[in-house]
Amino acid sequence: MSDSRSARMRGKTAVRLRTAGLVIALLSAAGVASLLPAGLQEVDFPHEAHAGLFPVCTGCHANVPDGPAPAYPDADLCARCHDGATLPSVSWSGPSPEPTNVTFDHAAHAEDLARAGDPALTCESCHSEGAGPRMRVVDRAETGTCFSCHAHLADDHLTQATCDVCHVPLASTAFDVTRIRALPLPDDHRTGDFPGGHGDAAARETARCATCHTAERCLACHVDVDNPHIGRVPAAPAELELPPAVAAYPVPATHADPAWWSLHGASASAGACGTCHTSTDCVACHVEPAPEAVVALPSAESVAAPGVRLRRDAPASHEGAFFMEAHGTLAAADERSCVTCHESTSCTECHDAPAGASHHPPDSVASHPAVAFGRADECASCHETTVFCRSCHVESGLGSSGRLGAGYHDAEPVWLLRHGQAARQNLESCVSCHRQTDCVQCHGVLGSFKVSPHGPSFDAVAAWGRSPRSCLACHVGNPLGGPG
Amino acid sequence: MTLSVHARLTCRVAALVLLVLTAAPSPAAPQQARGFVGSTVQFVGLRPFALGTEGCGAEPVCYRTGSREVAAMASQDVGLTAWGLGVRGLSATVLVRARQRLGGDFLWPRTDDPVDALLAYAELARGAFTVRAGRQELRSGLGFPSFDGASLGWSGRAFRVEGYGGRSLARGLREPADEALRGLEDFLPDQGVYLLGAAAHARPGRASLTARYHREILRDRSGLASERASLDVSTAWSRATVRGALDYDLGRGMFGKGELTVGVPFDGARWLVEASVLRYVPYFSLSTIWGLFEPVSYTEARMGIGWAPFPSLTTRASAGVRRYGDAGTVVVLRPLEDTGRRASVDVDWRFRAGWSLGAGYDLEWGPGGFLSSGEGAVRWAPSERLRLTVSGRTFQQIEQYRLGDGRAVGGGFSAAFDLTERIGLSGGGSILRRSGGEAGEGDPWHQSRAWSAVRLRIGRDPGVARLGARAGEGDR
Repeated sequence: MSDSRSARMRGKTAVRLRTAGLVIALLSAAGVASLLPAGLQEVDFPHEAHAGLFPVCTGCHANVPDGPAPAYPDADLCARCHDGATLPSVSWSGPSPEPTNVTFDHAAHAEDLARAGDPALTCESCHSEGAGPRMRVVDRAETGTCFSCHAHLADDHLTQATCDVCHVPLASTAFDVTRIRALPLPDDHRTGDFPGGHGDAAARETARCATCHTAERCLACHVDVDNPHIGRVPAAPAELELPPAVAAYPVPATHADPAWWSLHGASASAGACGTCHTSTDCVACHVEPAPEAVVALPSAESVAAPGVRLRRDAPASHEGAFFMEAHGTLAAADERSCVTCHESTSCTECHDAPAGASHHPPDSVASHPAVAFGRADECASCHETTVFCRSCHVESGLGSSGRLGAGYHDAEPVWLLRHGQAARQNLESCVSCHRQTDCVQCHGVLGSFKVSPHGPSFDAVAAWGRSPRSCLACHVGNPLGGPG
Repeated sequence: MTLSVHARLTCRVAALVLLVLTAAPSPAAPQQARGFVGSTVQFVGLRPFALGTEGCGAEPVCYRTGSREVAAMASQDVGLTAWGLGVRGLSATVLVRARQRLGGDFLWPRTDDPVDALLAYAELARGAFTVRAGRQELRSGLGFPSFDGASLGWSGRAFRVEGYGGRSLARGLREPADEALRGLEDFLPDQGVYLLGAAAHARPGRASLTARYHREILRDRSGLASERASLDVSTAWSRATVRGALDYDLGRGMFGKGELTVGVPFDGARWLVEASVLRYVPYFSLSTIWGLFEPVSYTEARMGIGWAPFPSLTTRASAGVRRYGDAGTVVVLRPLEDTGRRASVDVDWRFRAGWSLGAGYDLEWGPGGFLSSGEGAVRWAPSERLRLTVSGRTFQQIEQYRLGDGRAVGGGFSAAFDLTERIGLSGGGSILRRSGGEAGEGDPWHQSRAWSAVRLRIGRDPGVARLGARAGEGDR
């Protein structure tokens, strides 16, 4: 191996060794740095290098004991030594202020300690590493430092109701969106029922809410804009940029009752419903004029929050295969339930509708006789059978002419001798064609046959007492012999 | 054309209401109103029965179908509910119908009553109280009685009571009974009838029940027109639904109609089985002689099954047997039937988007008649605004006590088109041709019907707009 070659090899080896040394040094420095308490790192000032020059911290941070104002020395103080002649001049201007929501008053804290008889704290108590030499590492105090004394609050720090002792409301900070997003989520916010059940806590601990939220967050969901608790949460100033919010409306436990839809009216009020619902939700079902609880709610158009947006779906009862047959009884049992969703005119519109819109099929007139006999539909619920049926039957030639004999009932032999049973079984059918005089001409006391039409259980005394007028249609005077 | 006193009064009331609603000063103008205006024209052609002597065989006279006659009528409905009339809780509701005979060979029923106020009342709701005054209609276990008068209701948490009273109106006619029945009936009171009533409604748990009492008295207090009470209940027990109704005629001292139905869903409500026990007896005013004839009741047992194997397919079947009470009349030769039966099946199938098929069959036989009827319809909705229906029907009908037995085949069509969101047009027609029967083809009663309607909706129908949740984006 030549000398020149050997020299090149030594040169390369030296470079490699230096490079490796540099890497090791960097790694070591990083390792040491990683061992420092999280967040407690040297600020941008070589405190340790100046340790011999400043026996007390207040030499530079003179205003610390007086209050919470910025406690950094002026650059002039540095220039007394770093004047460019004695020592090189420097341009240090102190750390830039970091947005915080912590409010801390050194003087007040010292007074509290003194009042409690606790030993006074030194600067190093909070701002230096306890095990290291003085001013080796100096930084802002961390939350963990507070808990070194206030340990009894450490476990549930994020669920304390008295956040405003140490923190200012979010609306008073200069946090950016990233910093707001980084705010820790308290454990109680993670529970399943928190979104729906936070109202009581918010009413008690509004200041706690305000530490991390502004009123805008409340109003992203709440439609009750006049809620007094929301009013106590400061609104964000214009310059505070907030993360966008998602409206969430968890279903309250009360709503899980299958009968909730039919029961909610009893407890409905602006206070009970107005957190999530606007009157627009109510009138999705309730026809106007709406109940007072509905009137008291704002409309969807008048609030910023989306609110729960309900739509009108038929109740479960309407899905039954036999609902149309059942709805009459259901309506009779609870008419108010029907008029919640249906116009008060809707029953009449259908039951007494012109052709094409009625619940009767268009050809029902042709096939109605057998149905009318069986009373599958109770005709008399809607129709005055003595007029409605009879007037049409008269027009179609079926109305009685008062004569007796063959003709209409000629399909049945000896009809007159058997008509009594038919009349008792289907008297409504008789009435749809016959007038009372058709019967009286035979059954009346002055009639042709004087056959009593009364049944075996007829109570003449009661009948006379109720309506003597109807008795006198057949009888002349009081048939009981009393005063007529 | 001359108007009756009642019709003239109705016209004046309707005109006054419309005048108030439209011409009132600004603060009283309705903030909101909802309703409709509908016009309908109807036509029918048929062959009415006529008593004659030709073709009667051994009988001297008989009923036969006469010559073809036609008739047409038009009706105009105006329904309106207005609120925000300057007084909190005040609303007004009117439903007025005008009828006009357009011509033809016979008088279309009710066209002699040109203007009819079906509903016309003002309502004031304040807190738990509701006061209503005007022409009202009740939906009750005692039917649909109407009256001109006032009602007062009080609502508690799960309880409601109301009382009402006024001039009673003939059912379905909205006229005083003596006026409505004049010329058609005899022995009618020549005076009005007052209605007094009260109802109590409660909602204990999942149940709803309403008890009601009605008393109608002649104006001179010379007698009762009716005195009835009813109890209607609906409730749920476990998965089953129960509904019941019973009314009692205090005037005649007997129970009237009754129903007890239990429905049980199975298999996630795809099956529904309903069992019912019913009782029916007609109700007649005490001012007529009809109730003195003591009509008997029938009791029916009915079973129904509904099955929806898919959301697009629903089927139903039901059957019932009813038995009439002992008429207590003298039996000559052989008694009439006292048992009736009925059965029905129907199906509704949405077999593809916009298309659906409906079909059904009904069988009814018992005292007085027999009906075997089948029908089907195909509905097509090519768009949300247009709906078309073609239907067919055939039935055989035997009327034990009457003429008119025979078989008939018919068909029809209907169409509905929403011209705009507020204006809808509809129309249809149908024909029925008799195809047989004892009297044969020589005695047809073919019918043809047609109708058309236009309906204008006023105001906004709540809930029609399908609203979805509006979501934000982030998480805080």
